[in-house]
Amino acid sequence: MTNELRGLQPQHPTLYQLAPDGASLEFLFAQCAACGKLAFPANVPGCSHCGDPLSNAKKVARPGGGKLLEFVTLHVPLLPGMEVPRIAADILIEDGIIEEGVMAGSDESCLRVGMALCAVAVALPGGETFACRFVPAEGAAR
Amino acid sequence: MSNWIDDNDGVYVAGIGMHAYQFPSDTPYTHLGLAAVRGALADAGLAWPQVQSAYVGTTSIGMAAGRVMFRHLGATGLAVTQVENASASGSFAFRQACMEVARGVSDVVLAVGVDKHGDGRRAADKEGLARLSDTATVPAVKFAMMARTYLRERGADAQAMAKVAVKNHGNASRNPYAQFRKPRTLEQVLGSPRVAGDLTVQQCCPRGEGAAAAILVSGRALRRLGLDAARCVRVRASAACSETPETSYGAAAVDLVRASAGAALAQAAIPASRLDLLELHDAFSVEELLYSEAVGVCEPGEGAAFLQRGDSQIGGRCAINASGGLIGMGHPLGPTGIGQIAEITRQLRGEASGRQHEGANWGMAHMIGLGSVAIAHVLSRGTA
Repeated sequence: MTNELRGLQPQHPTLYQLAPDGASLEFLFAQCAACGKLAFPANVPGCSHCGDPLSNAKKVARPGGGKLLEFVTLHVPLLPGMEVPRIAADILIEDGIIEEGVMAGSDESCLRVGMALCAVAVALPGGETFACRFVPAEGAAR
Repeated sequence: MSNWIDDNDGVYVAGIGMHAYQFPSDTPYTHLGLAAVRGALADAGLAWPQVQSAYVGTTSIGMAAGRVMFRHLGATGLAVTQVENASASGSFAFRQACMEVARGVSDVVLAVGVDKHGDGRRAADKEGLARLSDTATVPAVKFAMMARTYLRERGADAQAMAKVAVKNHGNASRNPYAQFRKPRTLEQVLGSPRVAGDLTVQQCCPRGEGAAAAILVSGRALRRLGLDAARCVRVRASAACSETPETSYGAAAVDLVRASAGAALAQAAIPASRLDLLELHDAFSVEELLYSEAVGVCEPGEGAAFLQRGDSQIGGRCAINASGGLIGMGHPLGPTGIGQIAEITRQLRGEASGRQHEGANWGMAHMIGLGSVAIAHVLSRGTA
């Protein structure tokens, strides 16, 4: 599985990259040169904290994951071609940065608010790209 | 404290008109909009050439919707401005009209909202930034998360939320301009297909089409034109803002409603407890519970109990969404905010036949829109 993923491209290369373990993901942030805070993704055109244009921002890779804040199962396709059921989750990926992510699998029973999550690469149909999915950090392959 | 909205001897709603909200059809938008505008003119007792300026709230029709529609009323040369602000497009068109009248630029101004069901394209999908989840800008997901948090933190069950839909479908069944006109039982609401999380389809607003119009006049024009002052409703406040960093996870929308409603109440110089009517953005049932607390018509944490006690029913302490709200009356976007104004005007006049909240003196129309933006208007009977 790991070897298969190393040959694939990220679906959203501005957001994440494959970690050295070949299975988990690293998120790509911009570190604001003015206030020092992180912005996500790295190509945002301004710092939401201080308004700096981030033209001198440093690109920072951090282990992908975070704290699960909330989650719900989507029962109907809210977008064309979307497969359901799917679990959408709000995740605190860094201090002050909350992003909606997609959980791997559709079983809510293994999730609880406050738990740590890990971002992993999941190969997409077609065999050319991988996407980001979240799994409970406990037991995740890192 | 001076109130800018009183600068031109007051801003009054002199006429309202509607085209009923309905499911998407082949009806041209011009037919929808013209029905509402002609209705508002007739209601006010004014002729089209007397209207000096018009603001058109719409999201999905395309460029220059106003002039294309207005030429069928006669080419009077009036100023025409199109306003888009997602769900709050009509509300912001109304605010622009209020400001134009209050500042004395014009004395007779039309605000009309008209829309057809569009493709839902959002600027957020064009900002050149990828997202970890492709549903990150879909409101149903955001509000399903808010609902889940609400139920867990309050120790409530799904019924508490579903009762909002039961009330609002019931109100809509008595509103001839509503898209849904069937009362729903709690069992029907809870038993309808689930959409996201604990939200079932009958707890989500429909998309559709329709139109709503309001004609605003200054106090000076009201007298000069010999309008019926008893049927003119006074605009006491108009306040708008946009999202700020949330105070805690999931609080952004509630913070926004609290700030905008609070600013409007301060401008009107009344406490929330004086509101007899509140029309608010219940695109998803949980919003009404949260926003009734945020506006202040009930205490923090009391939203579900306020509903359960019947305090938000027509005839209760403050009738919330007497029109049926977005869930029952519908949410065609462009017209929605002006439809709220029309409902409050009708109620304050005592003309809401079949769903009249008796003795109403004060009402608030509150909307939020994608982005997020928020806007609140406070209206009163002319003599309040």
